[in-house]
Amino acid sequence: MAWQAVKKAKRSPADWWLLVVGFVIFSALGFWVTPAILYAEKPQPFQFSHKVHAEAADGDCETCHYFRDDGSFSGIPGLAKCQECHGEGQDAEPQGDRLEEKVFVEKYLKRGRPVPWQVYARQPPCVFFSHAAHVANAGMECETCHGDHGQSDKLRPYQYNRLTGYSRDIWGWNILGIGGPPERMKMDDCAKCHHENGVRDSCFVCHK
Amino acid sequence: MNWDRRAFVKFVVGAVGGLHASPLVPKLMDDVAIWTQNWSWVPVPEKGELLFANTYNPATGTACRVRRVQARLSGKRVIRVEGNPEHPICGGGVVPADVSMVQASYYNGMRVTSPVMRVSKSGVRRPVSWEAALEVLGRILGDLAQAGKAHTVAVVADDPYTVHGEMLMRLLAAYGSPNLVFQPSARDTLAVAGQVMFGQGEIGFDLANSLYTVSFGTPLLEGFGAPVATRKAFAAWRSDPKKRGVLVQVEPRASVTASQADLWLACAPGSEAAVALGICNLLIQAGAVSPAAAGAEGFEQFKALVREKFSPAQVEYLTGVSPRKLAEVAKGFAQAERAVAVCGPGNAGEPGRVNDFMAVLALNVLKGNLGRPGGVLVRRPLPLRPLGGEVSMPNVPRLDSDEQRPWGVGSLQTLAENALAGKPYPLSVLIVVNCNPVYSGPQAEVMQELCEKVPVLVSISPWMDETASMADIVLPAATFLEGWGDGANPYGSPQASYGIHRPLATINPQAASLGDCVLALAKAIGGPAAEALPFKSVEKALAARTADMGDFKKLYERGWWVQQQPDYGEFPLRTASGRVVLMSDQAKAMWEPPAALKALSYERPLLMAAVPSLRTGTGRQPLSPYMLKILDDTTLAHRDQLVVEMHPKTAEQLELKEGDLVRIASRAGHITARLHLFEGAAPGMVFVPVGLGHSAFGMCLKNKGANYYQAVEVEADPVSGLPQWGLTAVSVAKAGEVSHV
Repeated sequence: MAWQAVKKAKRSPADWWLLVVGFVIFSALGFWVTPAILYAEKPQPFQFSHKVHAEAADGDCETCHYFRDDGSFSGIPGLAKCQECHGEGQDAEPQGDRLEEKVFVEKYLKRGRPVPWQVYARQPPCVFFSHAAHVANAGMECETCHGDHGQSDKLRPYQYNRLTGYSRDIWGWNILGIGGPPERMKMDDCAKCHHENGVRDSCFVCHK
Repeated sequence: MNWDRRAFVKFVVGAVGGLHASPLVPKLMDDVAIWTQNWSWVPVPEKGELLFANTYNPATGTACRVRRVQARLSGKRVIRVEGNPEHPICGGGVVPADVSMVQASYYNGMRVTSPVMRVSKSGVRRPVSWEAALEVLGRILGDLAQAGKAHTVAVVADDPYTVHGEMLMRLLAAYGSPNLVFQPSARDTLAVAGQVMFGQGEIGFDLANSLYTVSFGTPLLEGFGAPVATRKAFAAWRSDPKKRGVLVQVEPRASVTASQADLWLACAPGSEAAVALGICNLLIQAGAVSPAAAGAEGFEQFKALVREKFSPAQVEYLTGVSPRKLAEVAKGFAQAERAVAVCGPGNAGEPGRVNDFMAVLALNVLKGNLGRPGGVLVRRPLPLRPLGGEVSMPNVPRLDSDEQRPWGVGSLQTLAENALAGKPYPLSVLIVVNCNPVYSGPQAEVMQELCEKVPVLVSISPWMDETASMADIVLPAATFLEGWGDGANPYGSPQASYGIHRPLATINPQAASLGDCVLALAKAIGGPAAEALPFKSVEKALAARTADMGDFKKLYERGWWVQQQPDYGEFPLRTASGRVVLMSDQAKAMWEPPAALKALSYERPLLMAAVPSLRTGTGRQPLSPYMLKILDDTTLAHRDQLVVEMHPKTAEQLELKEGDLVRIASRAGHITARLHLFEGAAPGMVFVPVGLGHSAFGMCLKNKGANYYQAVEVEADPVSGLPQWGLTAVSVAKAGEVSHV
């Protein structure tokens, strides 16, 4: 056993704290770097105030976000809905003096071009989501999934995942993916809610 | 602290552990997994505003509603076809052929993407401009007219009731050719039977209000008339438990309709009309005869005939239907408050025989349901204006003339046979409009020979189908989602109905509406042909045609016009005597065995018949790749092998087993398929799914199964001359090893 004793004596001090330092530094780096490399920002075409529009509509969200006769939902209202107040084609006029509204009227309304909104809550194409089933049938509130978006005066930055192209709101703003609606809208959240409420949660309920 | 190797390793281990404890690795892995869902070739619906529009599919007679997305830059894109719930007859239903038109229209592998022309020197086909194709076509047709050979130009088209059908009639007559034929249809047979018996051909069956329906060999739930309307009527029979409608199906195979029926009379092949006459005999014997029948022309002769030749025992001998079941149906039919007997296209969409149709209509006459709810009704004429003054027909013999037959209808088969024989003259140019005779025949081999031998073959079609693949000049036509057009009165409709479609999206920028193709052709020919069609576009022609249906914009935005209510209480008889005609010198409510039965021999001991399905259609409309996906292993096995049905006892006699590869051969041609033993198939027969086995349409559809029409042997109806391809005498022999399906 002599040779073992010699070897132990020559060993450097157990610098285990270096392991901790490495762990802490790179763990922090991972937390900091992951969102920075994974997410990019896209500008919205122009600013939009839900607050101003809600006031104009006497707080009635359904003026713009309504169910069509066939049960589909006007999540992002079409240009025709905007034209009801702002006017159509060359007759379109801004209702106020905000710069954003002028951009909207000149660039989109007068040219009849739909506004290319970046949609925070858009689910991936493989997901079939029905507002009718959730709002009209299950009686869920808009705020459950969309938070206070309906009262916002400005549109917050839209971030999307560089790899998947999906909105950051789907994974959630917490990089660990912790939380639930309205902070995030992952499949787990859908499944959890379906499970809790005794609704079928097999694959083809949502994935077509 | 010594910064030695061990310290470094500890730091690295800590760093690696730290990175793994951070979200970097798991998040990246999760996102990479999601990224693989989003390959560039995975189809993703375009984002944009959702728009709805009404339209009409003339091929199925379905009033549709189309969902489109207004894309930000690239215009509108059709994303879905669904039923139009506002249509009074269709009521929101669709069939696979409607729904899958989105995929078929957007799938370039199936489409004619630009005009194509064969270079005369090399024989190679190349894409050309519309102007170049029309210039050459105009020159060829102009030269023929100048040389006095305009009559050697023939046109084969899909539907005479459409605007492009009427345009073709005017164009060809003005150009100087009498040779315009349309695809043979049961509408022609019913019109002839109606003309003979009632002096008018615009008749239909009020299925929706019938409480006792007997269907004689027609696939009521698998493609009869406008399939959506028929299925809606069927659903109504089943929805009221107190007044449940009864359905009796008479045919040799346990089809979908037979399996849904309350009673299935499994008769011998081609003997459905004999069953109808047997029921007629029982009604007459029981004295259940309406005044219209008692006063009909030829009633006594008819009465004697059915008594002598169609007694229950004789019917059992001829058809295999027992006297007990025959009496049960006769009793149910006679006692029902509202009953109707229905005849129609056969399982392969064949037009049917006039005498058979008359036998079924005679049963309705005996019941006295003419002009009554749930009976046989006369349709009101559609308020369509002609596209101009009458154009006189050239005084040249027709290639499809069938003068020896009293009620001869121009037939594609006759035209092809006469043209090939040069009787009385050969063809110089054949123009095929929106149909595919090389595939769907009726006798595919004959049509292929005609198309190979004709000096110039022109195809105007949305699809690069078998005919277009052979054509010297191909012009790209629009589908109903991208072009103007119309359609009217699906088979058997009890009320006048009309549908109109318009461009809803630019799918193929080179495609023109069928009517616009005809107008362009007329303009290229010039002279009287152009003068006969003085319209700038088919849209203007449609506006003129439908001027009596109200505002044109409102009409095309709604997509349909339908007679408010069927005309109950009226059944004007326009025969010379003003009475119903049951028997005349020219046509009789009578049954004769089909020619295929007489053709049975030692070499060809079996009868081949078709298996109809809404999933495959009858081959006149293209399938989409989606429609192949919904076929199960009893239709298409191993992805590309057609499955045919045979009764186990017949298979045993032929020493065949389940899963055998068999060769089905007639005098006209042969096909190869896998054998499936099915107790519901009549013994002595082989049942072949129809609509598969294309040799064109791109990689998704090409060589999937075998083409029924390649083994078909056509017989001409003795009264109308219309080709019949429902039954063919064939041999079935083993051609390969067993492969379980």
